[in-house]
Amino acid sequence: MSETVAENRPFVDVVKVTKVYSPDIVALQDVSLSVDRGEMLFLTGMSGAGKSTLIKLLCCMDRPNKGLIEVAGRDTGKLKKAEIQELRQQIGIAYQDFKILPRHTVFQNVAMPMEILYKPGREIRDRVNELLDALQMSHKKDLPAGKLSRGEQQRVAIARAAANHPSLVLADEPTGNLDREVSTMVMDLFNTLNGEGCTIIIATHDSSIYEGTSHRIVKLEHGLFNC
Amino acid sequence: MSQFKYHLKQTWRNIGQSWGTQVMTLFTVSLSVLIFSFFLLVYVNIQVAGDRFSDELRLTVYLDHEIVPEMQPQIRKKIMEFSEVENIVFVSRKDAFDRFKKLLGRDSDVLEDLGAEIMPPSVEVYPLRDLKHLTQLKEFSDYLATLPGAQKVQYGQGWVERFGHFTALIRLIVILSGILLIMATGFMVSYTIRLTVVAKEAELEILRLLGASSPYVQTPLLIEGLLQGILGSCLGIGLLYAIYTWVQGSMTGPGFMHLFELSFFSPLTAAAIILISIAMCTGGSLIAIRKYMRI
Repeated sequence: MSETVAENRPFVDVVKVTKVYSPDIVALQDVSLSVDRGEMLFLTGMSGAGKSTLIKLLCCMDRPNKGLIEVAGRDTGKLKKAEIQELRQQIGIAYQDFKILPRHTVFQNVAMPMEILYKPGREIRDRVNELLDALQMSHKKDLPAGKLSRGEQQRVAIARAAANHPSLVLADEPTGNLDREVSTMVMDLFNTLNGEGCTIIIATHDSSIYEGTSHRIVKLEHGLFNC
Repeated sequence: MSQFKYHLKQTWRNIGQSWGTQVMTLFTVSLSVLIFSFFLLVYVNIQVAGDRFSDELRLTVYLDHEIVPEMQPQIRKKIMEFSEVENIVFVSRKDAFDRFKKLLGRDSDVLEDLGAEIMPPSVEVYPLRDLKHLTQLKEFSDYLATLPGAQKVQYGQGWVERFGHFTALIRLIVILSGILLIMATGFMVSYTIRLTVVAKEAELEILRLLGASSPYVQTPLLIEGLLQGILGSCLGIGLLYAIYTWVQGSMTGPGFMHLFELSFFSPLTAAAIILISIAMCTGGSLIAIRKYMRI
């Protein structure tokens, strides 16, 4: 990212953030959270707890009503449009609703973040093939993404999130439609990225992926952290 | 260089996804350029023809009596008091009769029993180019009518007036067709880009979420407008040239009264038309992008 984060400063800093959807739906209430660079964090809680809302705020899809959010040392509330785009280029996001393009092929979907950065064709090919191999999707790389099952689409979304070797990965329910074996593959990929220094925040209610983990787990309940 | 390659690749993809609309736009642009260029070409050739005719333009003052040689310098001086002229020719009855016989050619035997007295003497005044304007010709004609012995002044009034009106009409059509060109190309390209933006709304949203910059998204659309301008205008000019070649081959030459030698635009003029079309199309793209895109 263009600004370096001081060693002792959190990579992601959420300070007393409140988000209210009209008319009076409190999605997050005075939540504070710090995530260090290179940390993997599990954000847990039932459906409707506010996990997706927090993910959206972190990637500037929305703005909080109150509070401060800093990502890589930058106050997201003060960023201009071009700066938000620059920030997003360094964040890999696996959305709960996938947000892939059904008419584009699997390969094209995964390649998109790299094309945005004008990466050379060979580099894109190598990286996309590597990710699809890791998630056992290579045999479907030329298929339109719309023809895949939900589980396969989810894997495409995850591969796309990891394509650019991002500094931060935000994954919203990444194993929601996956069986245990594929879920393990996904977590292996996340662990690989984390091993390369990537900060990862995984929002999930699937306890099987964080049971017994050494990584930090924080729980959201009705928009509040339950520590 | 690789960035431009990306943009070209994306442009090609956009065109492939909406080729029907692209063809319609191309058709509209080339038709607009063709219409405008056609009338401009007609106007340019009329101007050239008009200049040629004006070289042969003369005012003929018919007199009731011949001007003796001693009086000719005085008449010359009086004529020159109005304006400098190219030439003044005094035509006697005999000269006029001889001309008439020559004009009749093989039928000149009808004049066997007639003498030169049937022909009126005249003074032919060849004006300078700056006098060829209709109002100046009219004034000059009125002045020449005051010469001693002048009965009538002729200069092809009807023809000159009609030619002037025709030229003005063509000029108006050129202006209107130019406006049509600007509006049609700008509107069609803008509409095509708008359709592209609407059709790609989901893709643009995802690109936005992935961090695509404005140039990444907008440049292919601008290139699209640019290409439509280049192809449409070249096609329009090309069609016009084909029409011109056909007209030149079929309708001009020795059998067509030697009135016209049609000429096409200079390369500079053709290039200017193409550049203006490109500017219109690219401008249309830009307007659509600014209006309909959020990135």
